[in-house]
Order: sequence, then C-alpha cells, then structure tokens
Amino acid sequence: MRKEIRIWFSKKGASRFISHLNLNRCMSRAIHRAKLPVWYTEGYNPHVFLSFAAPLSLGFEGERESMDIRLIEEMPYDLLLERLNAGLPPDIRAYEVTEPVMKPGEIAFAEYHIVFSGGDPEGTSEALWRILHNDALIVEKKTKKGAQQVDILPYFKNAGILVLGGGVMMDVTLPAGSEGSVNPSLFLEAVEPHLGASVLAKVQRLRLLDREKREFR
Amino acid sequence: MINSKLERILQKVQKPGRYVGGELNSVVKEKSEVEVRFAFCFPDTYEIGMSHLGIKILYSLFNEKPYIWCERVFAPWIDMEAEMQKNGLPLYALESGDPVRDFDFIGFTLQYELSYTNILQMLKLAGVPVLAKDRKELFNIVVGGGPCACNPEPIADFFDLFFLGDGEEVDLEVIELYRKCRKAGASKEEFLREAAKIEGVYVPSLYDVVYNADGTVQRYIPKDGAPEKIRKRNCMDLDAMYFPESFVVPNIDVVFDRATVEVLRGCIRGCRFCQAGFLYRPFREKSVETLSRQARSLCETTGYDEVSLSSLSTTDHTKLFELLDELHTWTEDSKVSVTLPSLRVDKFSVELTEKIKSIRKGGLTFAPEAGTQRMRDVINKNVTEEELKKTVSIAFNNGWEHIKLYFMIGLPTETDEDVTGITELGHKVVDWYYEAENRRKGRPVSVTASAAAFVPKPFTPFQWFGQDTIETLEHKQKLLKSTVRNRKLTVNYHGAETSFLEAVFARGDRRLSAVLLEAHRRGLHFDGWGDCFDFDAWMRIFADLGVDPAFYANRTRSFDEVFPWDHLDYGIRKEFLIEECKRAYRAETTPNCAEKCSGCGAACFGGGICIAKRN
Repeated sequence: MRKEIRIWFSKKGASRFISHLNLNRCMSRAIHRAKLPVWYTEGYNPHVFLSFAAPLSLGFEGERESMDIRLIEEMPYDLLLERLNAGLPPDIRAYEVTEPVMKPGEIAFAEYHIVFSGGDPEGTSEALWRILHNDALIVEKKTKKGAQQVDILPYFKNAGILVLGGGVMMDVTLPAGSEGSVNPSLFLEAVEPHLGASVLAKVQRLRLLDREKREFR
Repeated sequence: MINSKLERILQKVQKPGRYVGGELNSVVKEKSEVEVRFAFCFPDTYEIGMSHLGIKILYSLFNEKPYIWCERVFAPWIDMEAEMQKNGLPLYALESGDPVRDFDFIGFTLQYELSYTNILQMLKLAGVPVLAKDRKELFNIVVGGGPCACNPEPIADFFDLFFLGDGEEVDLEVIELYRKCRKAGASKEEFLREAAKIEGVYVPSLYDVVYNADGTVQRYIPKDGAPEKIRKRNCMDLDAMYFPESFVVPNIDVVFDRATVEVLRGCIRGCRFCQAGFLYRPFREKSVETLSRQARSLCETTGYDEVSLSSLSTTDHTKLFELLDELHTWTEDSKVSVTLPSLRVDKFSVELTEKIKSIRKGGLTFAPEAGTQRMRDVINKNVTEEELKKTVSIAFNNGWEHIKLYFMIGLPTETDEDVTGITELGHKVVDWYYEAENRRKGRPVSVTASAAAFVPKPFTPFQWFGQDTIETLEHKQKLLKSTVRNRKLTVNYHGAETSFLEAVFARGDRRLSAVLLEAHRRGLHFDGWGDCFDFDAWMRIFADLGVDPAFYANRTRSFDEVFPWDHLDYGIRKEFLIEECKRAYRAETTPNCAEKCSGCGAACFGGGICIAKRN
C-alpha cells in the first residue's frame, strides 16, 4: 500500500528559527528515528519522502503547519504522533493526522496574528491605525526580476487591530500561494520607524486558506 | 529561555538559530534540584562547537549526575556580540538562558591556540573577571581541558585549573570535590590545593616560574604541596569508558551533522609532526561489540542516517573489517550509512571501498604530508610513492577522478627540492590517471594539493625546531605555485601568518598571558577566522609590550633547555623525543607501535597496545 497522509504540527519558541531547509532535515530525522513505515525515495541515498504545504518564514511561529508523507503500512495515528513527537525538538509538536483533501497548490491565503508587545499599547495601536488609513504603503519587494516598489496597503484593509492586556494584536489575511504572496515582514519593516523603539512584533501564522478562503485541509 | 530582550536582538542577527537552544536531546533540569552548574564553553561558533565530539561526551557524562546541570555556551559571532553588548545582555547558556556568571564552573575546551582570545572575550561578555586572581570566591571556577592543555602556560593567568589527558573520570572528581568544599564552606584556595592532589589536575597558580637571563625557563617551583610533575589522566579500558547514548541534535547546519563513534584513542604511527599522536598514547581501541552498540544507540536516539567512525587513524583498528561487517548487519535495514573521516594511503583497498558505500561520494583525500621520500622519512610518515601510486590507481580504476592530497611545508630539514617534490608528486598522480586502464573515460581528472605551514608543537620530536620564518614560508609557497605545469593539478596553501601566531602560543610561556590580555583589550578575537584576523595588530602588540614573537616561534631550542611544559607529564619521555628528533635529522624512520615498541614511555599507563601482543 501507499497512503498519503497529512501531519499537522505547530512550530513555536526556539524552533521558529529553524529554516525551511533545516525543518525538512529535522522532520526526516524524526521520522527515521520513529521508524515510521514511510516511503523512502529510491536511489543511491534513500531518504524520507516528505513535502510541506507552504514554507514558513524564519522567525514566524506556525500554529497549523502541515507536512505530507506516504505510509506503506497502516499505523494508528495516535501512535504515529507519539513516536514522531519523541524525535522532534520540544518546540515542534505534531498533533493531528488527516488524509489530504486539498492539494498544496490550492493554497491562496494565510491568516496571520501579529502581537506587538512592549512600549505604550495605545500609542502602538494609534500608529498602526494611522498607517492603515493612509493612501498607500509603498515597500520594496524583492522578486526574481529585482527590487520592485509595491503598495501593500490594499492587502491590509481587512486587518483588525485590538488592544488587549499590555499589547496590541493585529489579525490579517494575506495572499500566500503560487499566484503571489505578501509577507507580513514587509509591513513590519515599513511600520517599524513609526513605533516605539521598545515595541517588539511577533508573527504567528494561524492557518492556510484556499482561493475561496476555505481552510486548507 | 527566549526573553523579550533576546527576542529583539535575534531579529537583527544572522543565523539566530545559533543562539536559542531548544534542540532534540538537550538537557533541561530544574534549577533548584541541582547543586553544581557547569557552563561548557566552546570558544568558537555554534557550528564548529556542535561538530565536536568531546563536548558531546562530557555534556552527557556530567548531566547523567543528578546533582550536576551542564549547559552549552558558544562564542557569539561578531554581529550577535555587538547587539548583546549594546543591549546589556550578558553571555548566557543555551539550555536555561541563565547568565554564565551564575555558574559554578565555566569550562573551556582548548582545541586551537587561535581561539585563546575568544576565551577572554567570552569571559568578558559573561561579566566574569578574566584574571584568575580577580575571582576570589569559590565560584565561577574557570577550567580547561583538551589538546592545548598540554602547554597551557600562555593562558595560565586566566584559568583556575586545567585537566590533563582523558576527561571522563578526572572532571567528575573535581566537580565532586567542589561540591564537598562548598558544603564545608572552604575557600577557593583550599579547593584548588585539594584539586591539585587529583591525578590529571594542574593548578597553575601553585607554581612559580623562574626564568634565565636569556628568557628561557630555569625551573618551576611548586607551592603548597602541589606535585612537581603533573601526570595526565588516562582511561585504559575504552569498552568500560563512558560514551553517550545520545547527542544533542542541532537545528541548524553545522560542520559535522551526524552520529560519531570514537573507535580508538591514540595512534600507533608516531608521525613526528603530529602532537595528537603523542598526547593520546597509548593506542587503545574499542571492541566491535561496543562500537556497534554505541553507534546503534546514537542513531536510534537522534534519527541520524549517517554514522562516522572517528579517531586519529580509524583504518588502524585491528578489527576494522569485522567492525564494518557487524555494522552492516543493522545499518542497511535502518538506512544508515557508515563513513570514515580519513584514509591512510597504505590502507586503501577495493575491499574497503566495497564495505563503505559512502566512500563513493565525491573525491578521495589522502595525506602524504611531504613530497619526497627523504622528507617523509624525516617526519616518519612511512608512506611510499609506490603505495600512493597503488592507492590512486585503485581509485582511478574504480571510478574516481578527483584526488585531494594534503601536504605540509616548513618541515625540519626541508629544501627547495622537497617543496617542488610536492608539485612533482601531484603531476605524477595526474600521469597515473592516464596509466590507469579502467579509468572512467571522458571525464577530466583533477588533483588538488593543499600545503599547510608546519607548526612545531610541544610533546613532539620537533618541539625543539625553530619554525620557518614567514618570509621562508612565503618563498616556499611561491615555489609551489610556480612549479605547477599542468592545469589538472591545483596547488593551494594557506596561512603563513596564522601559523606563525599559532606557533608562538603553542610553545609559549606565562609571559604571553600579558600579550593575550592586551590583544583582548584591543578587541582582537576570532583570530582563526580570515575576516577577523588582523596580523598587523598582533605585531603591534608584541612590539608595544616588548615581547619578541620569534623567540617562541622561530628559535631553535637546544636539547637541554627547560620547557614551560616540562612539568606536565604525558607519559612520553623527553629522552625518547630527543632520540626521535635525532633520527629525524638522519632521515631514519621508526617502526609503528604495532610492529615494535620503541620505548616512548607510555607503557607507564599499563595498558593498550603497550601490553598487547604484537603481530
């Protein structure tokens, strides 16, 4: 048998500094260590076949990341998760296994939750509000064709801002897929000069969505 | 462990994964439940330090004791260090994030002379006084071990004690002593005096040095009952010796990212330039069963799919093929590949290539070390041109076309002919490719010859030798380049200036502590890194302090000179080294330990090859 499964995991804390390439190695090692009955590529140096839905930027936390592997034998999913987690760094936790419904190519958007901590929350909130109500927010975007000046403000029109406790939360859904994507770090770099020096922004990617903004499954 | 201050800094530095810990198998304990906290410091970057086997052995060994918590600390790269200083973040340990200044022990591994300034920089970043005499409490005990501990005199002022030899036993004995002394409310001096009684412990502050008028050492005077000679510690039974069941698995790219087992300690060869070959005598090996078990355990706890058989000369293991066969009983099913770090010219065979798949990747590297037979006899390399020809011919006939050869220049008695002998040998290897009948056709052969500058080291037969001056070395480098007459041969060389500085500190004495302190004050560190090394700045320091570096690097010593390391006893008799030195100058070779005992003195440890039956 050969059965494609999708493993859902979170990537937080220290593990958010694991790059995409190294995440691949880290997962391969954990699968290897767990002796999961997975399909290995054939060839001179066989390695675990695995693919990720969408790369997560270095430094971002991921709440619902996914990785596809192929099982060659049935295995209870709770046991699979237990064995896999035993070989992962403590800040990466696999928590659910499903059978893939959508293809990673269908991903079109990502939901982000950005927390601004430190400094004066009211001031931060005001500054963000002002920026979002400007006419444009021009940033330099590096593409294959070189640097481009882009107005990213339209993508942030749906952003919600909330002052809560000692911080400011911002929720925003941004394009993230083969047809173009907008990285929240573009926004953060642009607004940084307008925020207090002690304000620290932390980005979480909550989940991925398809073109109709249905959750990626 | 990531607080908001660190978080902010991490956004501004390259490779933040170096600074956050959180790896699989890293050990996190409850602070209140441990009695002794040990900061294991590697005075170089995370990528270098996490590739080092020694730190992995001792980290696990210490953490097996419930009362000890050992954590890792690496030198932050210059971007991180600048941010830490700007933001008032002191050097911290990766497991807890706690400042290094809160630790009972601050231990450094001494692998390389050019990392000495990093030690001082790390102490400064930790906010711990760099001079041992300024640390008055029984706390923040700064200790060191590793190969450079065989002549720790240039860094003696900064350390409280050094471990000589194998650390597996002596380190724990000292930690246990510290624990007792803390409970008893003893002073730091009392602790150090007691520690000096443990075999393998050297407390530099318990020795006064008297110098002759010409600047050489007259004698070392022990104080407060410290021993006159400090003998290194040796673990004789490698099968019984501690070895970790698991490694911390780095989350980012490091230099060597794989499982590693140490197959043997010491070396039978007695190459006269090689310090490790003398420091780690006698030759001792692990049994096939032990190695297979340890390799398997590492692979199972880490998930690595590659295990390296590491040692000074792995192909000298008496049961190498048996070991490879035993490993193959489980590595194939587990999809684990076995690798060898280096191959001796005279140990390469078709059988070996068949047993180690990984050899098939990329090029092959061999180290003839010198270009002419006379020169190889001087250094006792005991490899002939015939053997090299046989080996590379096997390689060419079996599908390789990239050969890398390692050489040294600046060896004792070396002439221009010996230097050009390197390029000649390189050309011959290219020719042998075209003589190989079963070579893979249609692909270009490439031979690379790399020449390092020789650095004379303590406890070797060349410890008396005055290193070639930078000018002489540069002349030899030019000679190498100018004699290449085939595009299929590439010759490269590196670092006459760094080798000079390495030579100064390798055979330096205590007076060099002042030089290091001044270099540290002027901001020098990461001297082993091309982008940080500032040779002119070093030369200015020597000039400003009135210290002549050539006295240490380029001066040829007489056999009756007292060395700054003569009170340290590695089991190797000085008379033996003198005899070896004389033989070297007569270009006479010495049989290896497996063939015949040459009476080096290591038999005093009563084990290993010294008591084994010879073939």
